[in-house]
Amino acid sequence: MRKVFKSILAICLVVVMLGAFAGCGDSSGGPNSPTIKVAFHVDKKSKEGIAYSRRVDAFNLAYKSQGIEIQASYIARSADAAGYEDKLLTQKSSGTLPDIITFDAPNCASYARSKILYDVTNLVSSDVKNDFITVNEYNGKLYGLPIQESSAGFFYNKKIFRDAGVDVSQYTVENPWTFAQFKDVCERIKSHCPTYAVDMQLKNTNSEMATYLLYPLIYAAGGQFLSEDGRTATGYYDSAATKNGFNFIKDLHTLGYTGYDIGDTDFYTGKVGMYLSSGWTIPELDSRDYAPFQSRDDWGLLPYPKDVTRASATGSWSYGVTDNGRTDKTNVIKVLEFLCSKESSEVVTNATGMISALKSVNKNYAVGSPEDILLKQLSTTGKARPVTIGYTAFSTQFGRTIREMKDSNDINTVISNRTSGLQSDLNMIK
Amino acid sequence: MLGSMLIVFGAFALIFLGVVGFDLIKAKANGTQYNMRTSFVAYGLLIPAVILGFIFVLLPIIYSLGYAFTDYDFFDPEGMTFVWFDQFKLIFEEFARKGDIFLSLINTLKFVVVVVPLQIGLALALALFVNNERKCVGLFKVCFFAPVAISLAVTSYLWKSIMSPSETGLMNLILGVFNIPPQSYIEDVNNAMYWIAILSAWQGCGYQMLIFLSGLSNVRKELYEAASLDGAGSFRQFLHITIPGLRSISVYVIITVFIGACRVMIQPYLMSGYYSHTMTLSLYMYTYGTRYHLVGYSSAVALLMTIVIGLITYLQRRFLTEKD
Repeated sequence: MRKVFKSILAICLVVVMLGAFAGCGDSSGGPNSPTIKVAFHVDKKSKEGIAYSRRVDAFNLAYKSQGIEIQASYIARSADAAGYEDKLLTQKSSGTLPDIITFDAPNCASYARSKILYDVTNLVSSDVKNDFITVNEYNGKLYGLPIQESSAGFFYNKKIFRDAGVDVSQYTVENPWTFAQFKDVCERIKSHCPTYAVDMQLKNTNSEMATYLLYPLIYAAGGQFLSEDGRTATGYYDSAATKNGFNFIKDLHTLGYTGYDIGDTDFYTGKVGMYLSSGWTIPELDSRDYAPFQSRDDWGLLPYPKDVTRASATGSWSYGVTDNGRTDKTNVIKVLEFLCSKESSEVVTNATGMISALKSVNKNYAVGSPEDILLKQLSTTGKARPVTIGYTAFSTQFGRTIREMKDSNDINTVISNRTSGLQSDLNMIK
Repeated sequence: MLGSMLIVFGAFALIFLGVVGFDLIKAKANGTQYNMRTSFVAYGLLIPAVILGFIFVLLPIIYSLGYAFTDYDFFDPEGMTFVWFDQFKLIFEEFARKGDIFLSLINTLKFVVVVVPLQIGLALALALFVNNERKCVGLFKVCFFAPVAISLAVTSYLWKSIMSPSETGLMNLILGVFNIPPQSYIEDVNNAMYWIAILSAWQGCGYQMLIFLSGLSNVRKELYEAASLDGAGSFRQFLHITIPGLRSISVYVIITVFIGACRVMIQPYLMSGYYSHTMTLSLYMYTYGTRYHLVGYSSAVALLMTIVIGLITYLQRRFLTEKD
């Protein structure tokens, strides 16, 4: 009896262990299974995640009769998106990449080079492609279609501006303010702000945020970061014009207009006069959760200032088809086109407050509205972040430049160190 | 990848079986009470632990060792080639141009120099404090040991908040009561590593306190009584009885605290970031390995670190043991 019991126990243990190992594997069929796996970079419970899951449900309902189904996974990313990227790389190594992934636009080059992304130049129809304001290309090939477009600007507290007697109505996308005028406005509103005149998000140098919001100021000063092929930093990142751009940011700190210690909600609570941020701030301010901003009459949006030229932030997350061994991409492209459709774009942008990536989506924003300013800025002065396979190294060194400028009066040394660091990093990448 | 993993696993399995076989044969030859079935059951029970240890400890070490001599880039695994000592050459070039690896070495040294004596000193002081018979000694022990049980990530964020450079940070609020201006703490490029060392010593000293406590319990009470009769005060008793009594245990404590200090990463990473003033060797290695995906280069740094730390540990052990 005891022997029988031992044997049953042993068999049960073996079954449990085998089950556990089987659970680690892929259970959705072969490489050309009708189940299309899609990985999203957000938490399913976030506003954006809910929007994606609604579109996934809509697809599954619409294509039920054809037997095609989306199996979605939601991988909430950390501040630098490293966790999400690590997961993708691990899946690539183990040959379990989903069919479609979302990716941040600047990573297109490195993902294409590493064959995470699949060249869809000949798979996406030109009608679909041409409806996008921008697309993700690398070496002339199409690798991604944007989920939405982004642009940023300076949100401002109208009461503080009124109290300071500052009129900024003449500053438009077509006729933006200059670096000098920007400083002048900061000087005038400074005494009316409990803490600082402007939150440039300087403290967010550990994430992509500072890079995304501040790089246009360097371009506006006529600066550059890298050579055309994205391989050389020396002579570009440390050029005189680039230094001028960084100097402008440094001046704002030195003159006390901005700081590295501004709280996340200081603008929303009326402590700071201006706030450099992207379109996602619009629904936040519209939510009326903050006392100083009970209607759109309480806040406005100003474009990026210009120096020798105009430039503004662009680039958001995109959909990309992966190179995961699936030979027949027909159903994958169906899913891609559905997720990039007009309806999907509207659902997602309504949730995020960002600009639709599609030209065909109705964007009849009221003239002078924040959305109108962002859209105009995007189409006229939008300039992408550098295209390079070493984008992470670039973003890291950019963040360090901003952070290290804080404590150094010698900006030339800071930029020189960061240039040599970036060049060294780029040289290491094959 | 899978093929090479199977080869390594096969080699390991052969070695393991060889050791088992040798052990069984030796046991039989020595005429010890030998029961084949019992031995097989014993080794069978060992197998899950051995397999897990192999997969999660040994395999990564073996691979890391191998990758140090390649240009393995996680973004381009198919393009991996054997480059002999090129990665080490690169490390020395970076070091020569006083690049990030040089800065990270300086920062690590700053941390080690402060944290090792501070943490050991604190641990010894706490151990002496709770070693005396006094009220609520159990509560004190729990309080002193509690930080060890808390995750480093949690305490790092906690201290980051307490040492916020803004006027509303807890430490600055307290200083404000005494009209002392706000301090920068971790934001201070010259002193950031020292602040990190202080909080690391606070976090870690509870563990060493327990080790010292066990050492103190081995020091015979009669020695103190005899010294007391001879007129020796507390300080002289500490100097001539306690310290020599703890010498052998101190060697272990010094070596483990030193090795832990050399590997510091979580605190600077979470409290500051990848900046020149808080970058440490482990953070440098982590950044190149996981952020830039340059696994070959990162593995070479890891190998060099292991060699250097191993060498210093060997010297420490030899020097301190000779003294003993």
